[in-house]
Amino acid sequence: MYGWLWHRLPGGPTVRTSTMTVLILAAIAVLWFVVFPWASVHLPIDMSGVD
Amino acid sequence: MRQATRAAGEIFLTLGVIGMLFIGYLIWGTAMRADSAQHQFTNELNTQWGQAPAVAAGSPARPEQFDVATGQPFAFIRIPAFGPHWQFTLIQGTALAQLDLSPGHVPGTQWPGQVGNFAVAGHRVTAGNPFWSLPSLQSGDLVYVQTKLNNYTYRVTGKQMVLPTDLTVLDPVPGHPAQRPTQRLITLITCDPAWTGTHRVIVTGVLVSARAR
Repeated sequence: MYGWLWHRLPGGPTVRTSTMTVLILAAIAVLWFVVFPWASVHLPIDMSGVD
Repeated sequence: MRQATRAAGEIFLTLGVIGMLFIGYLIWGTAMRADSAQHQFTNELNTQWGQAPAVAAGSPARPEQFDVATGQPFAFIRIPAFGPHWQFTLIQGTALAQLDLSPGHVPGTQWPGQVGNFAVAGHRVTAGNPFWSLPSLQSGDLVYVQTKLNNYTYRVTGKQMVLPTDLTVLDPVPGHPAQRPTQRLITLITCDPAWTGTHRVIVTGVLVSARAR
């Protein structure tokens, strides 16, 4: 998976490493700010409110 | 075959890292969000309260009206048994949108100092773990609620474990929906065991002092 991605990235090792880093950071940002907030509401963690 | 094994390994490793990140989010991400909300609510209250007419501190409590929109702050709560720096704002409402930012006042229950039952719910874990130590409160521990005009002191009188469906703990006379209240109570609610929603810890207290701020 990562090898496959690595071979398809353009440029030399330095450029590839930077591109990889940016991609990974972007993936983490999407998880942290979009996926996790959504998941924390929909998983039965702690209580789900009191009415 | 080797390629497939390798791809599967990479996928499982990635899922493992994502799982750890999610745990990190639940502990620190939700705490950071709640912390910044607490700062904002504190500033809002200090600004609003700056205009309150002054009286000598310790005078008898002044009559108070609460007209608070959902999600808006209206008080501070301090529980010294949780530590000298434990203080949270209280906001109106106890849906997840509110609990994720601050402990909240259960809509429909009474307000601080009123005859009946002032019910407050908060997260046990996540959002800065506001009510982490609630199950360890003992009879006699004090709960301080500060509003725009008054300081209210409640003394803890009891603790029980109920199912989330048992809403009679929120009644003006807890457990007796038909009775007319005479006491001024507080009810603090959180989850037990931590990280699950299977039960609720209910701590009750009675008003022992109400003084002007």
